[in-house]
Amino acid sequence: MKQSYDITIIGAGAAGLSAALEAYDDTLDILIIEREKNFGGILNQCIHNGFGLHVFKEELTGPEYAQKLIDLVMEKQIDYLLDTTVLNISKDEVFSIKATNITSGEFIIESKSVILTTGCYERARGHVDIPGDRPKGIMTAGSAQRYLNIDGYLVGKKVFILGSGDIGLIMARRMTLEGATVLGVAELMPYSNGLTRNIVQCLNDFDIPLYLSHTIKEVVGKEKLEKVIIQQVDENRQFIENTEKTFEVDTLLLSIGLIPDVKLFESLSIDTDPLTKSALVNQKLETSVKGLYACGNALHVHDLVDDVTIESRKAGKYAKAYVINQKDIDKKQVPIRFDHHIRYVVPQVVDYHLIDEPFDVLFRATQKHDVLKLVIKQGDQVIRKKTLKYVVPAEMQKVQIKPEDLINDLPIEIMVEEV
Amino acid sequence: MYDFTIIGAGIVGSLIARELSKYDLKVCVLEKENDVANVQTRANSAIVHSGHDPKHGTLKARLSVEGNKLYEDLEKELHISLLRTGAFVCAKDKDEVNDMKKLYENALLNQVKDMEFLSIEEARVLEPNLNPSIKKVLSLPTTKVCFPWEVAFFALENAIKNGVELHRNALVTEITHTNHMFTIKTKDNQTYQTKHVINAAGVYTDEIATLINPNIPYQIKPRKGEYYVLDKSVKGYMEHVIYPMPSKKGKGVLITPQVHGNILLGPTSEWVSDKDDISTSLKGLHYIKEHIKDMAINVPYHLIIRQFAGVRSTSTYEDFYIQEDDAVKGFYHVAGVDSPGITAAPAIAKYLVDEVIKLSLPVKHTFNPILQKKIVYKDLSKQEKDELHQDKPLYGRIICKCEDITEQEIIDAIHGPLGSDTIKGVKKRARAGSGLCQGGYCESLVLRIIARETHKPLHEVNYDQKETQILDKESKVGS
Amino acid sequence: MKDKQLICIMCPVGCHLTINEDLVVDGNKCPRGKVYATEEMICPKRILTTTVKTDSKDFPRLSVKTNKPIEKTLLFEALEKLNHITVKKNVKIGDVIVKHILNTDVDIIATKSLVRE
Repeated sequence: MKQSYDITIIGAGAAGLSAALEAYDDTLDILIIEREKNFGGILNQCIHNGFGLHVFKEELTGPEYAQKLIDLVMEKQIDYLLDTTVLNISKDEVFSIKATNITSGEFIIESKSVILTTGCYERARGHVDIPGDRPKGIMTAGSAQRYLNIDGYLVGKKVFILGSGDIGLIMARRMTLEGATVLGVAELMPYSNGLTRNIVQCLNDFDIPLYLSHTIKEVVGKEKLEKVIIQQVDENRQFIENTEKTFEVDTLLLSIGLIPDVKLFESLSIDTDPLTKSALVNQKLETSVKGLYACGNALHVHDLVDDVTIESRKAGKYAKAYVINQKDIDKKQVPIRFDHHIRYVVPQVVDYHLIDEPFDVLFRATQKHDVLKLVIKQGDQVIRKKTLKYVVPAEMQKVQIKPEDLINDLPIEIMVEEV
Repeated sequence: MYDFTIIGAGIVGSLIARELSKYDLKVCVLEKENDVANVQTRANSAIVHSGHDPKHGTLKARLSVEGNKLYEDLEKELHISLLRTGAFVCAKDKDEVNDMKKLYENALLNQVKDMEFLSIEEARVLEPNLNPSIKKVLSLPTTKVCFPWEVAFFALENAIKNGVELHRNALVTEITHTNHMFTIKTKDNQTYQTKHVINAAGVYTDEIATLINPNIPYQIKPRKGEYYVLDKSVKGYMEHVIYPMPSKKGKGVLITPQVHGNILLGPTSEWVSDKDDISTSLKGLHYIKEHIKDMAINVPYHLIIRQFAGVRSTSTYEDFYIQEDDAVKGFYHVAGVDSPGITAAPAIAKYLVDEVIKLSLPVKHTFNPILQKKIVYKDLSKQEKDELHQDKPLYGRIICKCEDITEQEIIDAIHGPLGSDTIKGVKKRARAGSGLCQGGYCESLVLRIIARETHKPLHEVNYDQKETQILDKESKVGS
Repeated sequence: MKDKQLICIMCPVGCHLTINEDLVVDGNKCPRGKVYATEEMICPKRILTTTVKTDSKDFPRLSVKTNKPIEKTLLFEALEKLNHITVKKNVKIGDVIVKHILNTDVDIIATKSLVRE
């Protein structure tokens, strides 16, 4: 192991491994740092299938998808440190990465470029207002997934799930298959936040009811969870009287959203986007700190691991280009603007001095649309139109922008034509 | 036979234990919970008030001013964390400005030092996030913030090192008094004989007292307070403790910076019938937001990571009730210790021992008031870290990535005279799980470390109390 | 057989389908919906993903799957069979853990390699 690298990738999940493979070049020194004892990140506990159709053209489980990436990384003999946590990153001439592990204690690695792929964390009870007692038995769906699939333990016998995020749906099926009874899933919104195939194959297959426009009114149980009371809400999220339903359960799993884990950004003062709760990046996935890239769920939360790989390959590619032709180009960054039909976009800015190839603008809609007609403008001029069908907030959308589409240096605006 | 038996190992009981451990006495502490500092001490604002607010002439007034000073000693001797925040009391209208003058007079009588009035403009130079519509500010520089769990732990650990015994899971069910001797029975079928009893049972002081005397002059009426916790990345949003003007309902909803960088918003104040009611409610949380509005702008609600509630042992006596029982000699009440209980706790211990019990013994020569400083690895210098890591390599492995807590610190939290084998206990001692992800990442790791260190299967590790295992049963073992 | 209500999962559109006992499909916007509904009516099959016990302390469970879809009605029976398996040797990803589970032509295969300590 060296003390100085060209590119250091923090995280060895799908994003980190995909970025490393793309950044690989036999003239460059690349290091991957992973806090777990194994490669693969969260894919290790996602033992269900449905991964890989885009990237590997076959349907894989999480561990299989991870293994394909791991095998490729091993082939290339990229340096790595497992069971090693990065504590913070600072930048002077180059990046200085402070890390710690059992073998060396605290140490510093220097690197010309850093790709941050630290994934995301799950919203827990404390992040939202779930009123009532404070017993044990309330945990995130991902925690229950880890206990079940990695440690081999069920967290309860009778389960209710708050939130229709994919992990919650997957766990509804997983716990049912392992002998637990899942009494229902409550979703605050009038639509599901999970993929349709998960609603069908995880809930409908096992007759697990999904209560849309419902949320928790109260959890009851002093030391152990005893029951969960849900209630219907109106369009203003106010409780509707006489719609309570009570479920006697010992477990409440929360699947109420994922937030990018950006702790390592704290020591670098970078521009952030309050909508994604992560770094603001340009079309090369570069943050406001030169040479620092972010991708995968650390940048914004993806529905499919294939999308993580596709995005992370770009980060790897551009980090490599940055190290190889490190020359100072003045920034000419302008924001991408959008209207209220869109919840967020990535990238948030476009650097007009760096445009040399097409790039994707990823976004999520704020609500369901059967048809979404997008108009992309620069100033008053329409540069592109695109029609998307069956758009739901749970599924990420993208629109590609080509260099020749751009006619001036004005901000790109993505607007929705009302149908 | 014990000389003194203290019922309750909250901050008050623990500091009394430490006070008694100075003398050549046999002392034991009985705690009904499986951990110390688990009820009132666990859930409060953590403020060491300057003593401005309690009415002059009350025990509360005297002991909070004295307690505030004694925290400086605890910092030196026990190495507790103490944040010197100072405080701003905010008057939001003309009436409150008038009341603030009375508050100032009262504080002067209580001998609160270094107070001054500030205009809102002056205050906002120091705290830009104060609401500009505030009319006047009273600055209380002596206000501080502690970490109450830690104060109780460290005091009791020091007491144990000086000879005190602690029994956990010891719920007192019966006390009899014969021949100048008390016999205490606990739910786990143990019997303790003691010459004196000190009742520091928090919200249960009245129930413990009636075991020996049905005619006590106080009754505990629990008052619940709900709070929001903001993540430590909020650090700097507010540096002072921010109070509204006090009302009949108490000190009101506060903004309180914490020793680890978090900020607390709260508490509410609500009479409850159930002494164990620590539930949170939408109403309560809404109430907090409504009241914070008057004092602050740009409140970073997006950094909320937790809600909690605590019950305060407000008594019908109104002041602290720290007296020997009228009828049963040798039985001491330390009751009605609600706010400013944390502040007064060290002074309560001294007052009880010196002025109520009137113990006049020489300090034993073996008494050591100093507790070795607890290792918080991330706060050490590189050299100190390297030395520790050489000896114990597990200091090199991070378990709680939000708070940078190492595996060795978790092991230390599990073992030792005041160790704990629960997830919550480890969280209280080592802060694993207190951060942004609220244990989502580290809980399963901590659970495995506890199982390994205590030689238990994973599904026997408790979250908090007995029978609160996180894991139900192994998968794949059939039905 | 009664009419069956289904949501098609062949594409993101998610058509709400109805199929009756004569296998007449309604609500589909494309032919794939008809195929999906017909299969769901006659003999629904699923890929089963789960774990089996191992004798490893570090990796107490090994993730597995069926190498092809198995009849939905057999899911719980297959899981019950797997409760009695303990993997006591090193396995490579793709290795067969149970051949022809429940006398079907479906195998249970490892989705992860296991190297025991």
